[in-house]
Amino acid sequence: MVDNKFTEKDSIDLISQMLQQTKQNMKFGSGNILLYYGYPAVIIAIVVFILCQFSQNGIWSALWFLMFVPSIVIQIKERNNKPKVVTYMDKAINNTWRIVGSLFSLTVVVILIIGAVVGKSNFALMLPLCLLYSGIGISITGIITNVRVLIYTPLIAFVLAIYMLIALTDGDGATVIWHLYFGVSCLVMMVIPGHVLNKKSMEICSKN
Amino acid sequence: MLKELNPLIHSQLRLAVMTLLLSVEEADFTYLKEKTDATAGNLSVQLDKLNNAGYIQVKKEFIGKKTRTSCKITELGKEALEEYIEALKDYLKL
Repeated sequence: MVDNKFTEKDSIDLISQMLQQTKQNMKFGSGNILLYYGYPAVIIAIVVFILCQFSQNGIWSALWFLMFVPSIVIQIKERNNKPKVVTYMDKAINNTWRIVGSLFSLTVVVILIIGAVVGKSNFALMLPLCLLYSGIGISITGIITNVRVLIYTPLIAFVLAIYMLIALTDGDGATVIWHLYFGVSCLVMMVIPGHVLNKKSMEICSKN
Repeated sequence: MLKELNPLIHSQLRLAVMTLLLSVEEADFTYLKEKTDATAGNLSVQLDKLNNAGYIQVKKEFIGKKTRTSCKITELGKEALEEYIEALKDYLKL
Protein backbone atom coordinates (compact mmCIF):
# COMPACT_ATOMS: atom_id res chain seq x y z
CA MET A 1 0.00 0.00 0.00
CA VAL A 2 1.56 3.29 -1.06
CA ASP A 3 0.52 6.90 -0.61
CA ASN A 4 -0.01 8.44 -4.01
CA LYS A 5 -2.93 10.59 -5.22
CA PHE A 6 -5.47 9.68 -2.62
CA THR A 7 -8.91 11.15 -3.23
CA GLU A 8 -11.97 11.39 -0.98
CA LYS A 9 -13.68 8.68 -3.04
CA ASP A 10 -10.64 6.40 -2.52
CA SER A 11 -10.99 7.07 1.19
CA ILE A 12 -14.56 5.80 1.32
CA ASP A 13 -13.65 2.74 -0.79
CA LEU A 14 -10.72 1.95 1.48
CA ILE A 15 -12.86 2.25 4.61
CA SER A 16 -15.45 -0.21 3.24
CA GLN A 17 -12.72 -2.57 2.05
CA MET A 18 -11.01 -2.60 5.47
CA LEU A 19 -14.31 -3.08 7.31
CA GLN A 20 -15.05 -6.03 5.03
CA GLN A 21 -11.61 -7.53 5.83
CA THR A 22 -12.34 -7.70 9.56
CA LYS A 23 -15.68 -9.40 8.96
CA GLN A 24 -14.00 -12.42 7.35
CA ASN A 25 -12.48 -13.48 10.61
CA MET A 26 -13.55 -17.10 10.99
CA LYS A 27 -10.45 -19.10 11.84
CA PHE A 28 -9.60 -22.61 10.73
CA GLY A 29 -10.56 -24.95 13.58
CA SER A 30 -13.05 -22.61 15.24
CA GLY A 31 -14.83 -25.55 16.84
CA ASN A 32 -11.72 -27.09 18.39
CA ILE A 33 -12.29 -25.50 21.79
CA LEU A 34 -15.63 -27.34 22.06
CA LEU A 35 -13.95 -30.60 21.10
CA TYR A 36 -11.15 -30.12 23.67
CA TYR A 37 -13.78 -30.08 26.42
CA GLY A 38 -16.45 -32.22 24.74
CA TYR A 39 -14.48 -35.41 24.09
CA PRO A 40 -12.89 -35.59 27.58
CA ALA A 41 -16.35 -35.01 29.11
CA VAL A 42 -17.89 -37.85 27.08
CA ILE A 43 -14.99 -40.21 27.85
CA ILE A 44 -14.97 -39.37 31.58
CA ALA A 45 -18.77 -39.81 31.71
CA ILE A 46 -18.53 -43.33 30.27
CA VAL A 47 -15.53 -44.30 32.45
CA VAL A 48 -17.12 -42.94 35.66
CA PHE A 49 -20.42 -44.63 34.85
CA ILE A 50 -18.77 -48.01 34.28
CA LEU A 51 -16.55 -47.75 37.38
CA CYS A 52 -19.38 -46.57 39.66
CA GLN A 53 -21.80 -49.13 38.28
CA PHE A 54 -19.51 -52.13 38.72
CA SER A 55 -17.71 -51.16 41.91
CA GLN A 56 -20.81 -49.66 43.55
CA ASN A 57 -18.49 -47.00 44.92
CA GLY A 58 -19.27 -43.32 44.25
CA ILE A 59 -15.66 -42.28 44.91
CA TRP A 60 -14.98 -42.75 41.18
CA SER A 61 -17.06 -39.60 40.56
CA ALA A 62 -13.97 -37.70 41.69
CA LEU A 63 -12.58 -38.43 38.20
CA TRP A 64 -14.74 -35.51 37.05
CA PHE A 65 -12.05 -33.21 38.48
CA LEU A 66 -10.01 -34.26 35.42
CA MET A 67 -12.23 -31.82 33.48
CA PHE A 68 -10.01 -29.04 34.80
CA VAL A 69 -7.06 -30.58 32.87
CA PRO A 70 -8.12 -29.36 29.37
CA SER A 71 -8.57 -25.86 30.79
CA ILE A 72 -5.04 -25.85 32.28
CA VAL A 73 -3.52 -27.29 29.07
CA ILE A 74 -5.32 -24.70 26.89
CA GLN A 75 -4.19 -21.84 29.15
CA ILE A 76 -0.54 -22.97 29.02
CA LYS A 77 -0.76 -23.40 25.23
CA GLU A 78 -2.33 -19.97 24.70
CA ARG A 79 0.22 -18.17 26.89
CA ASN A 80 2.80 -18.56 24.11
CA ASN A 81 0.37 -18.25 21.24
CA LYS A 82 -1.49 -14.95 21.38
CA PRO A 83 -4.03 -14.32 18.60
CA LYS A 84 -3.14 -11.89 15.79
CA VAL A 85 -6.36 -10.03 16.27
CA VAL A 86 -8.97 -9.79 19.01
CA THR A 87 -12.36 -8.68 17.74
CA TYR A 88 -15.15 -7.27 19.95
CA MET A 89 -16.90 -10.61 19.37
CA ASP A 90 -13.84 -12.52 20.69
CA LYS A 91 -13.77 -10.25 23.73
CA ALA A 92 -17.48 -10.86 24.48
CA ILE A 93 -17.06 -14.64 24.10
CA ASN A 94 -13.87 -14.73 26.21
CA ASN A 95 -15.54 -12.76 28.99
CA THR A 96 -18.62 -15.00 28.89
CA TRP A 97 -16.43 -18.08 29.31
CA ARG A 98 -14.37 -16.37 32.01
CA ILE A 99 -17.59 -15.98 34.03
CA VAL A 100 -18.68 -19.57 33.29
CA GLY A 101 -15.21 -20.86 34.25
CA SER A 102 -15.28 -18.88 37.49
CA LEU A 103 -18.69 -20.36 38.29
CA PHE A 104 -17.29 -23.91 37.97
CA SER A 105 -14.45 -23.07 40.36
CA LEU A 106 -16.74 -21.16 42.74
CA THR A 107 -19.16 -24.10 42.94
CA VAL A 108 -16.35 -26.50 43.86
CA VAL A 109 -15.00 -24.08 46.49
CA VAL A 110 -18.43 -23.43 48.03
CA ILE A 111 -19.25 -27.17 48.19
CA LEU A 112 -15.86 -27.84 49.82
CA ILE A 113 -16.31 -25.02 52.38
CA ILE A 114 -19.86 -26.13 53.26
CA GLY A 115 -18.57 -29.72 53.42
CA ALA A 116 -15.83 -28.67 55.84
CA VAL A 117 -18.37 -26.90 58.06
CA VAL A 118 -21.03 -29.63 57.97
CA GLY A 119 -18.53 -32.48 57.96
CA LYS A 120 -19.63 -34.07 54.66
CA SER A 121 -19.16 -32.86 51.07
CA ASN A 122 -21.98 -33.54 48.63
CA PHE A 123 -20.99 -33.10 45.00
CA ALA A 124 -24.35 -34.31 43.63
CA LEU A 125 -25.20 -30.71 42.67
CA MET A 126 -22.11 -30.43 40.47
CA LEU A 127 -23.56 -32.36 37.51
CA PRO A 128 -26.79 -30.33 37.03
CA LEU A 129 -25.03 -27.03 37.79
CA CYS A 130 -22.19 -27.76 35.33
CA LEU A 131 -24.75 -28.65 32.66
CA LEU A 132 -26.50 -25.33 33.26
CA TYR A 133 -23.26 -23.29 33.32
CA SER A 134 -21.81 -24.84 30.17
CA GLY A 135 -25.18 -24.82 28.38
CA ILE A 136 -25.65 -21.12 29.10
CA GLY A 137 -22.07 -20.41 27.95
CA ILE A 138 -22.56 -22.31 24.68
CA SER A 139 -25.94 -20.70 23.99
CA ILE A 140 -24.56 -17.18 24.56
CA THR A 141 -21.59 -18.02 22.29
CA GLY A 142 -24.08 -19.15 19.64
CA ILE A 143 -26.06 -15.93 19.94
CA ILE A 144 -22.94 -13.74 19.71
CA THR A 145 -21.50 -15.65 16.74
CA ASN A 146 -24.90 -16.21 15.14
CA VAL A 147 -24.35 -19.98 14.89
CA ARG A 148 -27.73 -21.63 15.38
CA VAL A 149 -26.41 -25.10 16.19
CA LEU A 150 -24.76 -23.63 19.30
CA ILE A 151 -27.92 -21.82 20.40
CA TYR A 152 -30.24 -24.81 20.42
CA THR A 153 -28.15 -27.91 21.18
CA PRO A 154 -27.72 -26.96 24.89
CA LEU A 155 -31.50 -27.46 25.29
CA ILE A 156 -30.88 -31.12 26.10
CA ALA A 157 -28.47 -30.06 28.86
CA PHE A 158 -31.03 -27.65 30.30
CA VAL A 159 -33.79 -30.27 30.32
CA LEU A 160 -31.56 -32.90 31.95
CA ALA A 161 -30.21 -30.38 34.50
CA ILE A 162 -33.78 -29.40 35.50
CA TYR A 163 -34.70 -33.08 35.79
CA MET A 164 -31.67 -33.68 38.05
CA LEU A 165 -32.49 -30.68 40.23
CA ILE A 166 -36.11 -31.84 40.60
CA ALA A 167 -34.87 -35.31 41.58
CA LEU A 168 -32.54 -33.78 44.17
CA THR A 169 -35.18 -31.54 45.69
CA ASP A 170 -37.66 -34.45 45.79
CA GLY A 171 -35.10 -36.33 47.87
CA ASP A 172 -34.51 -39.06 45.28
CA GLY A 173 -30.79 -38.30 45.20
CA ALA A 174 -28.29 -38.71 42.36
CA THR A 175 -28.06 -41.98 40.44
CA VAL A 176 -25.18 -43.50 38.48
CA ILE A 177 -26.98 -42.98 35.18
CA TRP A 178 -26.61 -39.19 35.64
CA HIS A 179 -23.01 -39.52 34.51
CA LEU A 180 -24.24 -40.91 31.21
CA TYR A 181 -26.82 -38.13 30.92
CA PHE A 182 -24.00 -35.65 31.36
CA GLY A 183 -21.95 -37.42 28.68
CA VAL A 184 -24.86 -37.42 26.22
CA SER A 185 -25.45 -33.69 26.86
CA CYS A 186 -21.77 -32.93 26.17
CA LEU A 187 -21.88 -35.03 23.02
CA VAL A 188 -24.90 -33.09 21.73
CA MET A 189 -23.93 -29.57 22.83
CA MET A 190 -20.14 -29.70 22.40
CA VAL A 191 -18.85 -32.53 20.18
CA ILE A 192 -21.44 -32.31 17.40
CA PRO A 193 -21.43 -28.45 17.18
CA GLY A 194 -17.62 -28.53 17.41
CA HIS A 195 -17.41 -30.66 14.27
CA VAL A 196 -20.11 -28.56 12.53
CA LEU A 197 -18.13 -25.38 13.29
CA ASN A 198 -14.87 -26.91 12.08
CA LYS A 199 -16.51 -27.98 8.82
CA LYS A 200 -17.97 -24.48 8.37
CA SER A 201 -14.65 -22.76 9.12
CA MET A 202 -12.82 -25.10 6.73
CA GLU A 203 -15.24 -24.17 3.94
CA ILE A 204 -14.90 -20.42 4.66
CA CYS A 205 -11.10 -20.55 4.95
CA SER A 206 -10.71 -22.55 1.73
CA LYS A 207 -12.84 -19.94 -0.12
CA ASN A 208 -10.71 -16.99 1.13
CA MET B 1 -16.84 26.05 3.22
CA LEU B 2 -15.62 22.48 3.34
CA LYS B 3 -13.82 21.41 6.47
CA GLU B 4 -10.21 20.33 5.93
CA LEU B 5 -9.63 16.58 6.04
CA ASN B 6 -7.37 15.58 8.96
CA PRO B 7 -3.98 15.13 7.19
CA LEU B 8 -2.86 12.58 9.74
CA ILE B 9 -5.72 10.28 8.80
CA HIS B 10 -6.00 11.22 5.12
CA SER B 11 -3.22 8.88 4.06
CA GLN B 12 -3.94 5.51 2.52
CA LEU B 13 -2.03 3.37 5.00
CA ARG B 14 -2.88 5.34 8.14
CA LEU B 15 -6.58 5.37 7.22
CA ALA B 16 -6.50 1.62 6.57
CA VAL B 17 -4.88 1.01 9.97
CA MET B 18 -7.33 3.29 11.77
CA THR B 19 -10.34 1.60 10.11
CA LEU B 20 -9.05 -1.89 10.88
CA LEU B 21 -8.42 -0.96 14.50
CA LEU B 22 -11.85 0.64 14.80
CA SER B 23 -13.57 -2.64 14.07
CA VAL B 24 -11.48 -4.84 16.39
CA GLU B 25 -10.53 -4.73 20.05
CA GLU B 26 -6.81 -5.23 19.37
CA ALA B 27 -4.63 -6.29 16.45
CA ASP B 28 -0.97 -7.21 16.20
CA PHE B 29 1.62 -5.92 13.76
CA THR B 30 1.52 -9.02 11.51
CA TYR B 31 -2.26 -8.83 11.19
CA LEU B 32 -2.11 -5.16 10.16
CA LYS B 33 0.71 -5.91 7.75
CA GLU B 34 -1.24 -8.76 6.12
CA LYS B 35 -4.48 -6.81 5.81
CA THR B 36 -2.93 -3.58 4.52
CA ASP B 37 -0.34 -5.29 2.34
CA ALA B 38 2.24 -2.74 3.50
CA THR B 39 5.95 -3.21 4.07
CA ALA B 40 7.09 -3.64 7.67
CA GLY B 41 9.17 -0.45 7.55
CA ASN B 42 6.41 1.74 6.18
CA LEU B 43 3.82 0.32 8.54
CA SER B 44 6.13 0.86 11.49
CA VAL B 45 6.64 4.54 10.58
CA GLN B 46 2.88 5.14 10.15
CA LEU B 47 2.08 3.40 13.43
CA ASP B 48 4.59 5.67 15.19
CA LYS B 49 2.89 8.74 13.73
CA LEU B 50 -0.55 7.58 14.87
CA ASN B 51 0.83 6.64 18.27
CA ASN B 52 2.50 10.05 18.71
CA ALA B 53 -0.77 11.75 17.83
CA GLY B 54 -2.49 9.69 20.53
CA TYR B 55 -4.80 8.04 18.03
CA ILE B 56 -3.60 4.52 18.75
CA GLN B 57 -1.95 2.75 21.64
CA VAL B 58 1.04 0.56 20.81
CA LYS B 59 2.05 -2.18 23.23
CA LYS B 60 5.31 -4.13 22.88
CA GLU B 61 5.77 -7.35 24.83
CA PHE B 62 7.75 -10.58 24.83
CA ILE B 63 5.92 -13.80 24.08
CA GLY B 64 8.51 -16.46 24.82
CA LYS B 65 11.59 -15.23 22.96
CA LYS B 66 9.71 -13.27 20.32
CA THR B 67 8.54 -9.68 20.54
CA ARG B 68 4.90 -8.89 19.84
CA THR B 69 3.61 -5.45 18.92
CA SER B 70 -0.11 -4.96 19.37
CA CYS B 71 -2.18 -1.88 18.58
CA LYS B 72 -5.45 -0.55 19.87
CA ILE B 73 -7.40 2.54 18.81
CA THR B 74 -7.85 5.19 21.55
CA GLU B 75 -10.94 7.29 22.32
CA LEU B 76 -9.14 10.27 20.74
CA GLY B 77 -8.51 8.15 17.64
CA LYS B 78 -12.17 7.12 17.43
CA GLU B 79 -13.26 10.77 17.67
CA ALA B 80 -10.73 11.84 15.02
CA LEU B 81 -11.86 9.10 12.64
CA GLU B 82 -15.50 10.01 13.24
CA GLU B 83 -14.77 13.68 12.42
CA TYR B 84 -12.80 12.60 9.34
CA ILE B 85 -15.75 10.50 8.08
CA GLU B 86 -18.16 13.40 8.72
CA ALA B 87 -15.89 15.71 6.70
CA LEU B 88 -15.67 13.09 3.94
CA LYS B 89 -19.45 12.97 3.73
CA ASP B 90 -19.47 16.75 3.11
CA TYR B 91 -16.89 16.42 0.36
CA LEU B 92 -18.77 13.62 -1.37
CA LYS B 93 -22.19 15.18 -0.58
CA LEU B 94 -23.40 11.93 1.01
